[in-house]
Amino acid sequence: MSRALHAEWTKLRTLPSTGWLLAALAAVTVLVGAAVTGAVDTSHCATPAGCAEDTPRLALSGVRIAQVAAVALGALAVGGEYAAGTIGATLTAVPRRVTVLAAKAAVVSGAVAASGTAGVLGAVAAGRLILPRNGFTPEHGYPLLSPADGATARAAFGTVLYLVLTALLALGAGAALRDSAAAITAVLALLWIVPVLASLVADDTWQRRLDRFAPMTAGLAVQSTRSLERLPIGPWAGLGVLAAYAVAALLAGGARFAARDA
Amino acid sequence: MEATIEVRGLRKRFGPRLAVDGLSFTAAPGLVTGFVGPNGAGKSTTMRMILGLDRPDEGAALVGGRPYRSLRTPLCHLGAMLDASAVHPARRARDHLRWLAHANGIPARRVGEVIELAGLGSVANRPAGGFSLGMRQRLGIAAALLGDPPALMFDEPVNGLDPEGVAWIRGLLRSLAAQGRAVLVSSHLMSELEGGADHLVVIGRGRVIADTGVAELLAAASGGRTELRTPDRQRAMTALAREGAEVAAAERDAVTVSGLPAERIIEVLTAARVPFTGIAEHRATLEEAYMELTRDAVEFRAGTGGEAL
Repeated sequence: MSRALHAEWTKLRTLPSTGWLLAALAAVTVLVGAAVTGAVDTSHCATPAGCAEDTPRLALSGVRIAQVAAVALGALAVGGEYAAGTIGATLTAVPRRVTVLAAKAAVVSGAVAASGTAGVLGAVAAGRLILPRNGFTPEHGYPLLSPADGATARAAFGTVLYLVLTALLALGAGAALRDSAAAITAVLALLWIVPVLASLVADDTWQRRLDRFAPMTAGLAVQSTRSLERLPIGPWAGLGVLAAYAVAALLAGGARFAARDA
Repeated sequence: MEATIEVRGLRKRFGPRLAVDGLSFTAAPGLVTGFVGPNGAGKSTTMRMILGLDRPDEGAALVGGRPYRSLRTPLCHLGAMLDASAVHPARRARDHLRWLAHANGIPARRVGEVIELAGLGSVANRPAGGFSLGMRQRLGIAAALLGDPPALMFDEPVNGLDPEGVAWIRGLLRSLAAQGRAVLVSSHLMSELEGGADHLVVIGRGRVIADTGVAELLAAASGGRTELRTPDRQRAMTALAREGAEVAAAERDAVTVSGLPAERIIEVLTAARVPFTGIAEHRATLEEAYMELTRDAVEFRAGTGGEAL
């Protein structure tokens, strides 16, 4: 397994696209988070405290876009090998297919976790700078953002896990579909379209059900630090829903990868 | 370390098509074994099954007595080049060899060695996407040699190469076999193997048609035929046919005669006063021998061709 890990790490590291995707992941998390945070102030509320803005969640909202990079990285890890034809070389070097997939999952997770952590810390730092200027001050009930603060720490750590899980979901989809473009499309559709559909559903009960089982809505519940009782699903339970999707995709992809001719 | 590539009763079906139909043969150490057959005969499928990429419906393929998929460091047992273009276009050639080396615990200095061995020194730090076909073949061969394996397998290694590249690969295959390695090399053109192979496994429609030494095959194909050169071909053919020989017009002033020994041919021609300028025992080319073998087995027909993967 350690040799397979070494090989997959070398493979990931030696593609220029990996560096670009990881840089984009961190940069988009920070920049979009900063842009969204900068666009919101307390002027539209009766009192600044009355806004009840979930400031950590606001600062971390960049991952909604940045997850595209995580999805692409995950999908390319397997799908890219089918496109380039290197899957044959990979499986002749490491014939145990479950080992190959596990090694890919491990190195992609590590890379996404590292760049996600950088992005999330950057986004929290940007929020700490920007939020007080827009009226979200400690005096108004909005403590300065800090990764050491309990709820913010959970939101930040959970966001990194969210990115890792979306990458794994895409990796499983890539192994099942054997095509990066198809896997990226399928995963982004799952992440983005289900919330849109949920918003179109008139029935409240169904809307809450959809929100509870839509991977992005449920997964991002982990970013919430205020009014948790009003969430359709709890922070960790929500991340668990996304994890279930990722596990299902990895099992489906793994089963196909192990059983089929290469 | 010696290793034999052994195929026992391999059978593989793709949908309605039986691609490999009970194939058995052995590639022995110290020999270049040519694996020959028309397009679609099942060569690539067989090689993929030897590597564990495709699962056989029946039978087994063994490398040094073990199934490939059970090997812990497979690249050190069997080096293979199936598809030379299967390199990520954005990855540098050296990095492609590096990850392969890491996967089997092969020391990093070996990467440098095979780069030199394959003559890739000047391009090793460039992305493989810009490589010509010849350079890709060299990179594929470098990858096959990486684990210094006792057995090697190449699928159509000279396909699309210039004469210099063909000569290089032929020499390389010979020297690998001379080092005691088992070398299995496929081709759909027998002429590509002329002077390059010691043993031949000829297949058609997924079955072995011939499994023979090159020398024996050539002797059999040349069998009892005599090549005659004469300025008066028509009269020579008539005279010889009257004596019961089988005659066939070859090149412009040549006739291939079978069924009569050379001394008797000379007697007949002299008696009939037919002039001739040369008479020699016929030496078949590999190509001729192959055509004879595969005449019934050629399955490539217009509209149905194509090598199945």
